[in-house]
Amino acid sequence: MKNHIKNVLSLALICAVVALLLAITNSIAAPIIKEQEEAAVSSGLVEVLPNGEGFEALDLSEFTLPETVEEAYSEKNGGYVIKLRTAGYGSDLILMCGIDKDGTVKGVKYVSGNETLGVEVTYGDNLVNTTSDTIDAVETVAGATKTSAAFKNAVKDALNSAVILGGGSVDIRDEATILNDNLSIALPSAEGKFTEIFITEEVGNISAVYKADNNTGFVFVIGENFVAADVNGDITAEFGEAIKNEISAVAPKIINSTMTEIDLSGFADMPSHIQKAYKTSGGNYVFDLRAAGYGINGDKYTRSNEYIEIKVSVTPAGKIIVCKTTAQKESEGIGDACANLEFYSQFNGKEEANYGEIDAIAGATITTNGYKSAISSVFTAIKILEGGAR
Amino acid sequence: MKNNSNLSALLKGILLENPVFVLVLGTCPTLATTTSIIGAFSMGIAAMVVLICSNAVISALRKVIPDTVRIPCYIVIISGFVTIVKLFIQAYLPSIFSHLGVYLDLITVNCIILGRAEMFAGKNSVGRSVLDGIGMGIGFTLALLSISLIREVIGAGTFAGMAIPFIIDHRIEFFIKPPGGLLVYGIMIAVVTKITNGRAPFKKEFTCEGCPSAGVCHTCKKVLKEEN
Repeated sequence: MKNHIKNVLSLALICAVVALLLAITNSIAAPIIKEQEEAAVSSGLVEVLPNGEGFEALDLSEFTLPETVEEAYSEKNGGYVIKLRTAGYGSDLILMCGIDKDGTVKGVKYVSGNETLGVEVTYGDNLVNTTSDTIDAVETVAGATKTSAAFKNAVKDALNSAVILGGGSVDIRDEATILNDNLSIALPSAEGKFTEIFITEEVGNISAVYKADNNTGFVFVIGENFVAADVNGDITAEFGEAIKNEISAVAPKIINSTMTEIDLSGFADMPSHIQKAYKTSGGNYVFDLRAAGYGINGDKYTRSNEYIEIKVSVTPAGKIIVCKTTAQKESEGIGDACANLEFYSQFNGKEEANYGEIDAIAGATITTNGYKSAISSVFTAIKILEGGAR
Repeated sequence: MKNNSNLSALLKGILLENPVFVLVLGTCPTLATTTSIIGAFSMGIAAMVVLICSNAVISALRKVIPDTVRIPCYIVIISGFVTIVKLFIQAYLPSIFSHLGVYLDLITVNCIILGRAEMFAGKNSVGRSVLDGIGMGIGFTLALLSISLIREVIGAGTFAGMAIPFIIDHRIEFFIKPPGGLLVYGIMIAVVTKITNGRAPFKKEFTCEGCPSAGVCHTCKKVLKEEN
């Protein structure tokens, strides 16, 4: 028993002494270690913002910043360092961008990514000393247009973010601009002018097709990829075999599709929603629909007397290919969600049997019901047209 | 005579009782940190500092520490020194800290340090234990340096991070990989055994009597019984 107590006491004593020594060491080393960690962070930051000092990470949750912004640091003199992540040629590009208090880009550093040519490392240098007014004049690098354009757009986002973080306001690139930028990166020859093609044929996973206004080619959107093709639909960009095969299988159908209007006067029972009907060269139907939403059926003081206009393409078997809202004047912030891709794309791929499985727009029952009843008229119209095909 | 034995306490660790090549202790850090000369050198020095300090303290406390709880006591003392060394390296030599990574913490359970505590420091005076720590530390460092010299030069074509012309274009990456490390390690053991004529391993200290696990080992009990 005596031995046991002696054992416990000596071990406890040794532990206590060692713990005391560790506490002393830690009190000496901890501040130095902290200083070093801060120095390691700021040495990366100083690289893109020379003369910067006293960096502090910012809480970004209070700000509405462009999507590309991942992290931001403020600096004593009023400058910012912004970490950006953007889509490049083959993978995500991660950049650090330093901006001084006057809104001039002081450094752009390529942190990581998997680009093909190696020019990306130096392309950032071209953007140094630009401001939001002069950045557009910087030319993209021949042979690495996509990467350099992605660089430029990210740095633009950083410039905007610096203004927002400084308490100012600026127009963030909205969805339409981002889309246009993505299209331009994929197909620079279009000079930024694209028109969406309404898809009338079954196209698998392709979610949208854009045509260059100057007839230099097409851009197919499949998943998150923007795939450029020339006027004949041949893919010009480097992409995986799966995506290439998928697109080249349907590209000619989409590009060569033509529509002939059907004279509806001969069909007595045609639902009143149907404004116009077309038959495509691929054998499908396209309808222009009018849906009576809140603008027609709602409260008399708020109604706009406007229909929701919808374009739908349908296979002869009655399967919706693409549905799109083309015009609407529903209540702002509520029913106007029927113009959102998230809402109308729910109808894509639906048939008469399952078209009811649609998530209603919150707070806009009348709009949703009007929309759905217009879409359901398509199935009736198909039966009439197919039955009475002349 | 006394001077002589002190000198031998210091020198034996370098070759005759080299902890890595003769005692075959600390194989894990040996293989892990010898991919580069700088890593091997800093590992050797860090382990040597811990070894000297823990040898000194354990030797000084050898009459105080109860026999039954000596291993926990040793580990507490050793891990205390390891943490102190680690904090100082992290504070003053951050590049070496990131280079050594987890192996710095693992010095705590490095067999060399625990082995010397058990075999030597627990039975000898403070002065001799410090000399033993210095000798073993130098032996460990030299062993790591020799293995890492072969591995880095042949495997990476560099010397302490600097490229060596010609070799860098004809490097054999196998030597940087774990099997290459084992191969070099084995060859080094063979060379050292040849030089020492294989004398060292037959010393009594390295038999079951010197083994920390002797008390719980069945083979050992049998061996000791037969000897007695």
